[in-house]
Amino acid sequence: MKISKYIIAFVVIVAVAYNAVYFKKLDEVKASKAAKDFNAAQYAATFWNTKLLPNLNKAIDVTRLSFMLSRDPQTAFENYSHALGIGNLRYFLVSGKGTVESINENDVSVLIQTDSIKQKITIATEYIFGNAVRDATGLIDINEFNNTMDFNNVSAEINKTIREKVLPAFRQQVKKGNPIVFTGAIELNKEHLDLSRIEVLPVEIKIL
Amino acid sequence: MKRLPAIKTIVVFMLIVGIAAFQGCKTVDSKNEKKKVAVIVSTLNNPWFVVLAQTAAAQAQSLGYETKIFDSQNNTALEADNFENAIASGFNAILFNPTDADGSVTNVLKAKSAGVPVFCMDREVNSTEAATSQILSDNYSGCVAIGKYFVEQMNKKGNYAEILGLVGDNNTWNRSKGFHSVVNFYPALKMVAQQSADFDRNKAMEVMESLLQAHPDINAVFCGNDAMASGAYQALVAAGKADEIKVFGFDGAEDVIKSIKDKKIAATGMQFPKVMAQTAANYADDYFKGRKLFPKKMPVAVELVTQENVGDYTGYGKNDKAQK
Repeated sequence: MKISKYIIAFVVIVAVAYNAVYFKKLDEVKASKAAKDFNAAQYAATFWNTKLLPNLNKAIDVTRLSFMLSRDPQTAFENYSHALGIGNLRYFLVSGKGTVESINENDVSVLIQTDSIKQKITIATEYIFGNAVRDATGLIDINEFNNTMDFNNVSAEINKTIREKVLPAFRQQVKKGNPIVFTGAIELNKEHLDLSRIEVLPVEIKIL
Repeated sequence: MKRLPAIKTIVVFMLIVGIAAFQGCKTVDSKNEKKKVAVIVSTLNNPWFVVLAQTAAAQAQSLGYETKIFDSQNNTALEADNFENAIASGFNAILFNPTDADGSVTNVLKAKSAGVPVFCMDREVNSTEAATSQILSDNYSGCVAIGKYFVEQMNKKGNYAEILGLVGDNNTWNRSKGFHSVVNFYPALKMVAQQSADFDRNKAMEVMESLLQAHPDINAVFCGNDAMASGAYQALVAAGKADEIKVFGFDGAEDVIKSIKDKKIAATGMQFPKVMAQTAANYADDYFKGRKLFPKKMPVAVELVTQENVGDYTGYGKNDKAQK
């Protein structure tokens, strides 16, 4: 009787000890923790649908912005630019209507012309990188993020959406001379302002 | 005899009033006392960190605080001593440039439990709960910009090598990830080697020498900091390949800005140590004035410096003459 008691106790202890210890790959644990903490793709999709698209009507006309920047850059930056971090790189949400002048390897040149204004800008079609679209609306609060990689990944996901959903149809159909309308984001350096090279990362772009 | 209790009461009353008055004076004195801000920096052997520490101290002084700079000499144990000294000496805030993202966490937590806020500058600690705020160069985005320029300069094809900084340092990987987040889109750009040179100029020179022997056909090299870019360039000059292989750096160090002007190095990412240091000191000031909510991590924009715009820049920042 005594021996069988000891055997049962031993089996129970072994079973409890065995089930109390388990092994997992460290990278799996890290990956699952990161996934639980923050999902950049989901965040970017929600931002795109609930904040970015509904606020595109707040974009400033790119020719009007250029005029303001050439006259009073400080006020224009204060009133219309945003950035998640600090420094000289600031972002604007802009819109415009123009005619395609040329289709290049990495961009499309557009001429915007009214009675009093003639301005050239480019629409980026190849290099869709950086934080312009993430930051331009000013609707993302940096305090939402604990990690720098989280908000870097949000930019990467937003840019992926532009690359995969906004640009393919436009690139396929656009021809020289097409009238187009666009809304998107631009990056400008507050200290070294260069209005001759305005490049728009498009959020919405249509051939009229 | 009957008077005794009355006298006793008066004496006790006067004592209480005296003590209260003394305490009151003491409170007024401590209010008038200058608050003290410690600047604890990883090393003062590197001019970049000297600029960071001195700017932080100068900004805190200009805001009315007493300051002292502590040099950790890249030694986590010495850094722990510096924290203990700063806390014991009654410093009210610490502007901190860590020696080790993991190893420095306990020091920051020690200060936090002593009620001393810590503001990290340039380098981060691997905890979002320890420091009050971390003001950091946006290494990733800076290297996204370098990556884009790299692809343009290489016409989307060619072989290249990458020389990494310290493999245990977060900045090393944030820079590398930012660069590859662009370059990896172009399959005709092939990374033939990736090696660490610990952010060190001499090591980078040695690494570049051996890379040239193993891969004589490379067209470019991306280095995780400017010291390594200078070392790599030196090796290319010695091998007679300086005109064939493009060198890209990161930091905005004075000698590399000059090399870009001289068309020796293709580009770098300009960090702003002065902006980070001033922001950290301003945050400490805000904290003393009652602000309690700070961004856990505040990125400071890194700007791309190329041969086209190098005239706008000087080592560690903007060219004052070019500023508007």
